[in-house]
Amino acid sequence: MRRDPFPRHRRRCGCCPIVPPELLRRIAQNGTKPQREAALATLATDHSLRFARATAQLLGGPARRITLAAAEFMPHRTIFDAGHREALPGKAVRVEGQRAPRDVEVNEAYDGLGATFAFYADVYDRNSIDDAGMPLDASVHYGVRYDNAFWNGRQMVFGDGDGEIFNRFTASLDVIGHELTHGVTADEANLVYLGQAGALNESISDAFGSLVKQYKLGQTAAEADWLIGEGLFTRRVKGVALRSMKAPGTAFDDPVLGKDDQPATMKGYVHTTADNGGVHTNSGIPNHAFYLTAIALGGHAWEVAGRIWYETLRDRRLKANATFRQFAVLTVTTAAQGFGAAEGKAVAAAWQGVGIDASMGSRRLARRGDRGAP
Amino acid sequence: MSLRIDFGIEGGFAALPGLAKPLRIDCADLSKEEAARIEALVRRADIFHLRLPAHVASIPDARTYTIGVDDGSQHRMLRVEEPIADDAMRELVAELRGHAARLRRAGT
Repeated sequence: MRRDPFPRHRRRCGCCPIVPPELLRRIAQNGTKPQREAALATLATDHSLRFARATAQLLGGPARRITLAAAEFMPHRTIFDAGHREALPGKAVRVEGQRAPRDVEVNEAYDGLGATFAFYADVYDRNSIDDAGMPLDASVHYGVRYDNAFWNGRQMVFGDGDGEIFNRFTASLDVIGHELTHGVTADEANLVYLGQAGALNESISDAFGSLVKQYKLGQTAAEADWLIGEGLFTRRVKGVALRSMKAPGTAFDDPVLGKDDQPATMKGYVHTTADNGGVHTNSGIPNHAFYLTAIALGGHAWEVAGRIWYETLRDRRLKANATFRQFAVLTVTTAAQGFGAAEGKAVAAAWQGVGIDASMGSRRLARRGDRGAP
Repeated sequence: MSLRIDFGIEGGFAALPGLAKPLRIDCADLSKEEAARIEALVRRADIFHLRLPAHVASIPDARTYTIGVDDGSQHRMLRVEEPIADDAMRELVAELRGHAARLRRAGT
């Protein structure tokens, strides 16, 4: 079996990151008092699973229960009914392990969160949004005929749609994957929701939202539809989805909703102050770069292309205000160092395909020999 | 003169150019009850004197509503971001969303 190029302890913890948790545990047990305190503080700060297990062995009581729950890699879902009000979270109507009530939105949200949790756990060894077993909360039936879904920093929120333009927002698995991934991005890189960093934030949610769906369906990159929000539009709308990663700008063209205005390349970059600098518009560019990468590398997109993007998101060199090019350079470096020169070239070619030259910066980063690992 | 409101929806997971384009809601075209309800909500929200909270940081996929209100003697343009804390403003936005959806369906 191929050695994992991205060891799990490669985390952003800034306190004592290069010391393995096993060693920290021994220090916490046998070191001097200051050493014990420092080791415990580090174990408490880093929430990665290995650290959680090590901490669990040292602590009793509630902390032990919490960390063991995290170590079990089990989802902890709670679905709330907002009762068509715009107040959160609403009334809890289904918690983990409970039987399905007669409410389509509640059960779709529950199942979608479960599928997304399973994707991150199985593929990237990630235990929920914060990699420490964070409970997955979602509210459905939010507002009256509410045409949106969002992540509010603590939970996911889904509207029922107006029935005229939009169906219910729980109907599409990639929507649920998209919203949960906003939580992952906030936990790892905290990309600001503005301009290019905001468009990257959106694109990462689209990419992993699509991968959650592909993983569930067992599709290869070539088999996948690469659509975001397929099934959200009612039959009255002339369109197949909200966005297309394969062909940005082609998802809909409707007399009421207008034409899909996502650019596929930097030539079409939209300079605007609306929507936080066009975060849902310019995300078409990194979306398409991810698609081109996945197609070039072939196979199941979550295995290599997705892994490169995931590790880039976790890379401490990814700044909160990153530009497309800075992100692109990191993906090329991650691909070359984690998988090989061929993969690095494929990723660079994909970015070139959307008008971003990432090869120069990635060579400089590679020469420095800094992988971003703590 | 009756109230005229230009209403648009920016951003959101389902960010669409057709929703962002402001739509005119003219109370003169509405039933007496509908017009009275909107006028009452505009008064309650104190649109012409309201001080909006300072922008902090946007929530992923939350929407921003552009609301231009004209009563013939005063005009105010607002950008209201979700989540909307003020009850009256939240009710007004929900009401305007409903009217905008009906106008779009009618092909306005």
